Amino acid sequence: MKHPRAGLARETRRRPPISVAVALAVLVAVAVATVFAPWIVPDATAQDLMLGITGPGPGHPLGTDDLGRDVLELLVAGARTAVPGALCVAAGSMLIGNLVGLPAGYLGGWVDALAMRWADLVFSLPALLVAIVVAGVLGGGYGLAIAVLVVLFAPTDTRVVRGAVLEQRHRPYVEAAQLKNLSAWRIMTRHVWPNIAPVALANVFLNFAYALVSLASLSFLGLGVPAGSPDWGRTLSDNRTQFLTNPWTVIAPGLAIIATAAALNIVGDWLYERVDRRGRAR
Amino acid sequence: MASRADGPGAGNAGGPGTGGGGAGRPEAAGLSGGIRDAGLSGDVRGAGLSGDVRNAGLSGGVRVEGLAVRQPATGRTLLSGVSFEVAPGESVAIVGESGSGKSLTVRAMLGLLPRGLEATGRVDVDGVRVDDDPRTRARQRGGVVSLLMQDPFTLLNPLRRVGRQIADGLPKGADPKVEVPRLLAEVGLPEDVAGRHPFQLSGGMRQRVGLAAALAGGPRVLVADEPTTALDATTQREVLALVRRIQRERDMAFVLITHDLRLAFSTCDRVVVMYAGRIMETGGAAAVRNEQLHPYTRALLAAEPPADRRLAVIPAVPGSVPAHDAVADRCAFAERCSLAVAECLAVGPVPKAVRPGRESACLRATELPAQPAPAPGVTLPFRGLADAVLDVRDLRRTFAGAGRPALAGVSLSIASGEVVGVVGESGSGKTTLARCVAGLERPDAGTILLDGVDCSDYGRLSRTAVRQARRTAQMIFQDPYSTLNPARTIGAALAEALRADGRPAASGDVARLLESVGLGRDMAGMRPAGLSGGERQRVAIARAVAGEPRLLICDEPVSALDVSVQAQILGLLAELRERLSMAMLFITHDLAVVRQIADRLYVLEAGRCVETGSADQVLDAPAHPYTRALLASVPDGSAGWLG
Amino acid sequence: MAWRSWGAFLLRRFAGTAVVVVLLSIGVFGLLYLAPGSVQQTLLGTRPATPETIAAIQARYHLDDPLPVQYLSWLGGVLRGDLGVSIRTGSPVADMIGDRLPLTLALTGYGTLLSLLAGIPLGVAGALRRGRATDRLVVTAGVVGLSAPPFAVGLLLLVVFAAWLGWFPVYGTGEGLADQIWHLTLPAAALAVGAVGMLVRFSRAALIRELDQDYVVFARARGLSSAAVLGYALRNSLVPILTAAGLIVTGMLAGTVLVEVTFALPGLGSLLVDSVTFKDVPAVQALALLLTLLIAVVNLLVDVGYSVVDPRVRLGGRTS
Repeated sequence: MKHPRAGLARETRRRPPISVAVALAVLVAVAVATVFAPWIVPDATAQDLMLGITGPGPGHPLGTDDLGRDVLELLVAGARTAVPGALCVAAGSMLIGNLVGLPAGYLGGWVDALAMRWADLVFSLPALLVAIVVAGVLGGGYGLAIAVLVVLFAPTDTRVVRGAVLEQRHRPYVEAAQLKNLSAWRIMTRHVWPNIAPVALANVFLNFAYALVSLASLSFLGLGVPAGSPDWGRTLSDNRTQFLTNPWTVIAPGLAIIATAAALNIVGDWLYERVDRRGRAR
Repeated sequence: MASRADGPGAGNAGGPGTGGGGAGRPEAAGLSGGIRDAGLSGDVRGAGLSGDVRNAGLSGGVRVEGLAVRQPATGRTLLSGVSFEVAPGESVAIVGESGSGKSLTVRAMLGLLPRGLEATGRVDVDGVRVDDDPRTRARQRGGVVSLLMQDPFTLLNPLRRVGRQIADGLPKGADPKVEVPRLLAEVGLPEDVAGRHPFQLSGGMRQRVGLAAALAGGPRVLVADEPTTALDATTQREVLALVRRIQRERDMAFVLITHDLRLAFSTCDRVVVMYAGRIMETGGAAAVRNEQLHPYTRALLAAEPPADRRLAVIPAVPGSVPAHDAVADRCAFAERCSLAVAECLAVGPVPKAVRPGRESACLRATELPAQPAPAPGVTLPFRGLADAVLDVRDLRRTFAGAGRPALAGVSLSIASGEVVGVVGESGSGKTTLARCVAGLERPDAGTILLDGVDCSDYGRLSRTAVRQARRTAQMIFQDPYSTLNPARTIGAALAEALRADGRPAASGDVARLLESVGLGRDMAGMRPAGLSGGERQRVAIARAVAGEPRLLICDEPVSALDVSVQAQILGLLAELRERLSMAMLFITHDLAVVRQIADRLYVLEAGRCVETGSADQVLDAPAHPYTRALLASVPDGSAGWLG
Repeated sequence: MAWRSWGAFLLRRFAGTAVVVVLLSIGVFGLLYLAPGSVQQTLLGTRPATPETIAAIQARYHLDDPLPVQYLSWLGGVLRGDLGVSIRTGSPVADMIGDRLPLTLALTGYGTLLSLLAGIPLGVAGALRRGRATDRLVVTAGVVGLSAPPFAVGLLLLVVFAAWLGWFPVYGTGEGLADQIWHLTLPAAALAVGAVGMLVRFSRAALIRELDQDYVVFARARGLSSAAVLGYALRNSLVPILTAAGLIVTGMLAGTVLVEVTFALPGLGSLLVDSVTFKDVPAVQALALLLTLLIAVVNLLVDVGYSVVDPRVRLGGRTS
């Protein structure tokens, strides 16, 4: 059967849209802050209890919090606490997702059945609530919170990877490789994986955003980093009664979380869309 | 909020401007009205209409003049200088391969272009100029002009009962209780179909419902875009006959888009042949059938193999269909044309009247040499199954959830070096058979002897036995677009295949392999995305024959290709079979194709073999009624084919 | 026959939900053993370890019995409405939940209403104006909404609308219906932002997908009115939008925790955080079980709704 290819109207790729450019700029700024915070703001946590909370003024563009810490410096230092944990969650869950999802999709059978039941179970749970309960009852702090989130995120990644593998699984090029008697391992790693890697990468960004927000939420509830740490969620929580005196103590970290997460989501969506477009263009 | 929306669905769901084609939104402003009056150049206007000049204000007809479609975002032109007309009650077929612009022509004519495309040129429908008037277009749809689309599985609203969908298109004031049963009866469906959902109907029934819906507004012009391509051959003929009968009864003007020249001859009064976004030739169906005034039409007709005889060689056209812009300012076909002269590459010809009612865009239209009849081929005599390379006995396979078995006990054997065709419609089990033999599917029961070794269950074979079986039988697939790994270069894919088959795989070996399937050695560095469908299929063949297998399983290897390319691939397969003395299991739905390549045939219907014998015997003197029905559904180009 | 297959479908989904709930209830029961320190210590909390208190705990939790028996007796208690006694307050957990449930229900209900009122029209508007400025704005706003944690949104809303503009109260729940609604507006808006983002994304994508389908072109080509064509597409896009409902409800429930803490509202969410912080395991268990059940029921309802909307699910057809 001849299907006239519907690709005629396919838009050719232009430059990335402005929103993506802005998002990438935000991510670069956050990355710089994350890596170089100890050098940029070496004494962000230095307290000045005599000064206390003040509004924006000379020397303190965004004012200080009730411990007399500079809000802008806290903001920069906060990235170093907030970002790496979220990155760990996104990378860790994607690693598990690939390791489980690839064989689950390609081989099927009990591996697949087990992985999918696990996913079904975790899917009916709100990750954040589970993290609150488990991290709270176990009293584990930041490390445990990250571990719990990895366990709860991995099924999504597994499902994404598995779905992408299943889509490739019965394509003739995979079956032709089977007919050449190549090993399942070789087909999975050399033939299938390169074609699904972009999906996995896009998903890392989306997970990263969600992990950032989740960890910030835990910190906000006092279940993540210890009190006084320069973390965006924690700063918000420490100052949530102070916003009448210096609103910037709340606005700055709040906007930092929202902007970073939104930037990650925008880039992730953009990557997804590109993969999707390429998939359709074949 | 910390909620997940990053599953695969949500992922590609989001994003700004989820891209891609397809006609989009409902009648928002400026949507349908892409077509504006373009300053038509003199020669385009003059080229338009031939001998019997008709009245531009004719009611119940269509007239298109100087139509062009562009994609402003890329600056590409997809078709240009398209002029034709359809008189009231007349049927016209627009014929072309993929990329010819035939579908875009009618979409532009109807103001239903996909997003991102713009049309210029003049369009008159029912005596009213509509190209600059989206309101009139919108008013005309349904009542004056209607469209029947290609894929019966997507053209109906999946959630709405079909009776209501038909009723939605009725003119105001019509009583659905009377009209819907009447329309259903007109398309040969019982009244109770109205209460069903589309998913409860077969493809043929859905296409009939589609026809009833298209007719609900009582159109005077019916456009059908490949209305039967997605259907099985036997259903195809029934639906076409129905459309044709209704068109005559209602005295509608009819425009049929098709890729099949013989089908066009059999169903329409006149044909318009398009290529690379231009009109090549127009004329009466019988006249064009008897004598083609453009080398492209000739080549297209010659490349479509006949079902009633075998040819020694199917005359193939070298190369593939170019993009419109790649052949600007010259004859679009010149580079593939054996009759081209220097002038053909120097000027862009427009269709000119050659004789009354006939137009051709060939500069040499009046001096084309007579065409020699193609030499007949011979089917090899059956030499018995002394050294069978494949012996299948009583193969059975039922898929979970299926109502009936896909294979209900099929036996088949292939002698060494023999080409065996397996023909049948979708659901006949022919592909399942091929996949079982290749070891991609495990049969429920029955045996498969491959070179004497029992390969019924690859899971129970030793590693060496599996390797031996894989080297004995290889397979090529239908879809050229997914048969190659998009992430790997052609060279890497072929080197891997050579190594897997235990052959040397240096770059020289890859180059030799490429040349053996008629490709250049420089192709080794390219990725599949840069290749045409025919080139990809050649690479897939090279990959399969890298280890010179004794049996090549071909699952519909040419059915996704354009006719001119199909002939090339069939020629290549015949040549390889000769050179490697390879046996083939050739799966196809196309009796004309199988006639050209197979020595023996098996006809499958619903998982059973209903007839077998030599290709000549089965196709010249079919014994089973199903085989006869299949044969009757192959268009022969005669006006009487639809019955 | 078709109806029987629908019945089988519903039964299957119901059984699946039941299995999930049972499995999760085991996990919830297990929290007792996950908590650091001995079970006895956990259950004693800050009370002194006298023989009487220990005996009371032993009697109530059957700590000497094998684990499955302990679990079953705990489950039996739960099914009879006995959710245990809070370690923190000493009062029955069921009463505490009963006191706080109305506020959380009102908050989520209000939030859901706001998100539906904003999210679906915005998504539809984006789809209909695809690729234009309106659409880009809607999409970007949707992503930002999706990315914004409710506590950050809540605090920003407080800064702008309560502190700067003074339109809404800073804290409190209010007296009387109108006043309560007024007090709950900022929290509900903070809760709704994420759901709006999700609804925009799902409804826009679903509608765009449908508008690209052949049946839409065909409907236009045979002269159906714009309204009828949009009706076709909207009805069909309802199926994927419904699948978002489960995600939205889980998101809402997680969000209430943060919003109630942010706005200092006495609901189930703040109860959960207080109990977790205090390691009040019986209260945490009860709340976790309640949330599990709520989410399972919502997911089941989504599945049923799905099959009602799409006859292919109900009548056993293949989704193609």
